[in-house]
Amino acid sequence: MKTVKIILAALLILCAAVLVIAAESSKDKLPGLLERMDAQGAAAQDTKMQKAKDRVLDALAEGSREKVLRSLERYLDGWPDRLDTGGTVARELFVYRNRPSLTAAGLFLLLAGALLLGAVFDRTGKIRKAALPALLIGLLYAGVYILESVVGSGTMLITVLKKGAIYALVAVAMNLLNGFTGLFSLGQAGFMLIGAYTFAIFTIETQSRAQVYQYYDGGLVQFALPTLAALALAGAAAAFFAFLIGLPVLRLKSDYLAIATLGFAEIIRAVFQYDGLGPITNGSNLLRKYPTFDTVLFPFLVAGACVAFIALVIHSTYGRSFKAIRDDEVAAEAMGINLFRHKQLAFVISSFFAGVGGALLAMYQTTVQAAAFTSAMTYEILLIVVIGGMGSLTGSVMASFLFIAASEWWLRFLDNEQAIGSFQLPLMRSGFRMVVFSVIIMAVVLFYRRGIMGDKELSLKRIARRLSPRKGGGANG
Amino acid sequence: MSDFIRANLPYLLAGISVGGQYALIAIGYTMVYGILRLINFAHGDIFTVAAYLMVYMNATMPLYISLPLTAVITVLLGFAVERVAYKPLRDAPRMSIMISAIGVSYLLQNLMWYVTGGLAKQYPVIPWISSSVTLLGATTKMVTLVTPVLTLVLVLLLTQLIRHTKIGMAMRAVSKDFETSKLMGIKINGVISVTFVIGSFLAAVGSMLYFSNYTAVTPTAGAMPGLKAFVAAVFGGIGSIPGAVIGAFIIGIAENIIKAMGLTTFSDAFTFALLIIILIFKPTGLFGEAVHEKV
Repeated sequence: MKTVKIILAALLILCAAVLVIAAESSKDKLPGLLERMDAQGAAAQDTKMQKAKDRVLDALAEGSREKVLRSLERYLDGWPDRLDTGGTVARELFVYRNRPSLTAAGLFLLLAGALLLGAVFDRTGKIRKAALPALLIGLLYAGVYILESVVGSGTMLITVLKKGAIYALVAVAMNLLNGFTGLFSLGQAGFMLIGAYTFAIFTIETQSRAQVYQYYDGGLVQFALPTLAALALAGAAAAFFAFLIGLPVLRLKSDYLAIATLGFAEIIRAVFQYDGLGPITNGSNLLRKYPTFDTVLFPFLVAGACVAFIALVIHSTYGRSFKAIRDDEVAAEAMGINLFRHKQLAFVISSFFAGVGGALLAMYQTTVQAAAFTSAMTYEILLIVVIGGMGSLTGSVMASFLFIAASEWWLRFLDNEQAIGSFQLPLMRSGFRMVVFSVIIMAVVLFYRRGIMGDKELSLKRIARRLSPRKGGGANG
Repeated sequence: MSDFIRANLPYLLAGISVGGQYALIAIGYTMVYGILRLINFAHGDIFTVAAYLMVYMNATMPLYISLPLTAVITVLLGFAVERVAYKPLRDAPRMSIMISAIGVSYLLQNLMWYVTGGLAKQYPVIPWISSSVTLLGATTKMVTLVTPVLTLVLVLLLTQLIRHTKIGMAMRAVSKDFETSKLMGIKINGVISVTFVIGSFLAAVGSMLYFSNYTAVTPTAGAMPGLKAFVAAVFGGIGSIPGAVIGAFIIGIAENIIKAMGLTTFSDAFTFALLIIILIFKPTGLFGEAVHEKV
C-alpha cells in the first residue's frame, strides 16, 4: 500500500514538473512557431500578414497575454489553409494559451504530491485528517484560477466570485459576533467603511493625489503604503474603533446593542462625509486611483486566509467561551468567563475582518464613497448570515456566493421585459428582481429559520455519512 | 432681541413640528416594543408606504377620500405585516423576529423601488396645512403649527384609550407580563393586532404631516425618520407613551438647533450620539421602568 502511494506521489510530482516547465518555456517558443507556420515566407509578400505578424511580436515583447492571443488569432485567420498549422504548432499554441492554468495545475499537483507524501509518512501509516480537506481547498483554488483564465476575468461568473468572496469574509466576521457570541450587532457597514477609507486614503498613488483631492489641495496624506500593509492597517483601524465603541456599548443588552451599533455606523458615515475632514477623507467626494485587483485569486486568497483565522479562533478556548456566552450569559459568568473581556475580543476580531472586507470591497469597486455604506448594507450581510445559518462558517460562505449570484446574476432576467411568443409576461421590469429576491429571503427567514446549515459545519465526514448506505460504510469501501 | 427671535424662530418651530411627527412614529415603536419586545424595523417603511399611497391616490381621487383611504390601507398593511411576518415566530428567539422585521423592511423598500421605478415622487399639496403663515415675523407652513397640536390631541386620546377601555387594560397587562396575561384569558393575538393597527394609523398621520414639509418621497425617505423616532422612544424610556412623545420633541428640537448652528452634516449623527449616551447613563430612558433579570 505504501509503495503504491509513493509511486502515485512521484508521478504527480513528475506531471507537475512537466506542466510547469512546458508552460514557462512556451512564451520563448512562440516566435519560432510563427516562423515554422510560415515556412515559405508568405507573410513577407503580403503586407497585411506582415502587419499581423508584427502585432504578435509587439504583443510578445509587451508581455500581455490577452493581446498576444488576440493578435495571434487574427494572424491565424489570415492563412488560406489553416491545416498548415501542424501538430506541434497546435500543441505549442495550446500550451501558450493555457499557460497560467497549466502553471497552476502544475503547482497544485506539486502540492498534491507533497500532501500525499506527507500522508504516507504519517506515523500510523494512515491518511492524515487534515490532508484531504486541504487538498480539496487547494483544488478549489486551482479550479477557480483555471476557470478565470478560461472564461476571462470580465465575465459575470468571475465578477460574482470576486464579490462573493468579499461578502463571505464580511459575513463570516458578522457570524462570529451574531452567531457564535450572541451579540446582535448591526454596525458592520460602519466598520467596513472605516476599513475601506483607511485602505483608500493610504494607498492612493502620490502623483494622483492632487487630482483626487482637487477640492482640498491634494489632501494631507502624501505617501502610499504597499497594498498588503494597507489591508492590515484597514483592519487595525476598524478594530481600534471597535475597541473604543465597545467600551460603553457592549454593556448593553441585545436589542439596545443592535440599535446602538446601528447608530454608531450612521455616525461614522456622517463623520466621514464631514467637510472639515476633507483633507483626509475627501469630504463627500469619491476616493479613487488606489490599487485594485484584477485576478479573482486575490480576494480568494485574502478572504480565505481571514476566514481560516476566524475558524481557528472559534476552535480555540476563546471560541468555546464565546459559545458559552451565547448559550447562557449568566451560566458562563458563573463558570469564570470574563463576559466583558470576551465580548470585547469577539467585537474587535469581527470588526478587524469587517475592516479588511471593506478594504477588499473598495478594491473591487475601484472607487469608494462613504454614502454607500448604509444600514441596508448591514441588513444584506445579516440576511446572508441568516440564510447560511447562525453559527455556521461554511454556511455563511456558501450563502454569500448564493446571495451575490442570485442578486447580481441569476435573477437579472427578471429586470427585463420578456415575452413568450406574443404573450408579454406581466410584472417584469426594472426592480422586479429585488422584489422576488426579498420575497425568497422572507420565505427563508420564516420557514427555514435555521438557514442552509443551521449551526453545523460542512465536513467531509458528514457528506460521507450522508452518501454511504450503512453507518460507517465508507471505511470498508 | 427681535432679530434673534426672527433668525432662530423658524428653527425652533421646525424642531417642534418635526418633533411632533417623530412622536407619532415613535408611539408605534414604543407600543410594539412594550408588548412584543421587538424593534419593528419595518415601521419606518410603513411610514414611507403611507406617503406613496397618498401620492398615488391623490392623483386619481379627491382629498376627502384619499386621506382616510391612505390611513385605512396603511393600517391594513401594518396588520398584515404582523400576521404574516411576526405571528409565526412568536415562540422563536427574539433575534429571529428582529431579523424577520429587517427582512420586511428590505422587502418593502424593494417593493417601493419597483413600483416607483426608483424615482422621487412629488408629494401632493394638502390645502390649508400646506399654506404659509407668518408668526412673530417668521414665515412657516401651517403644518408646523398644526403638528404639535394634532400630536397632543392624538396622544391624549390614546392615553385615554389605554387607561379606560378594556382593550387598553389588556394591552397594559400584556406588556407587563406576556405569559401570565395569556393564562388570564387575554387574547394575545388580538391585543397585538390592535397595537399594530394603532401604530400604523399614527404612522400614516405622521407621514401626511412629515411629507407636507418635504416635497419629494423616495423609497428610503422613511428610514432615517424611522430610526430617529426609535431613538426618541428609547430616549423617553421604551414602552412609555409620554416618554416617547417627550423624547421625540427633544430630539426634533435639538436636531434643528444643530442645523441652526450650521452643522447639518451632524444632525443625524447627533441623534445617535444622544442615544448612545442615554443608553450608557440611563439605559431605561427618562420614564422607562427598570427590568431586573432573574436567573
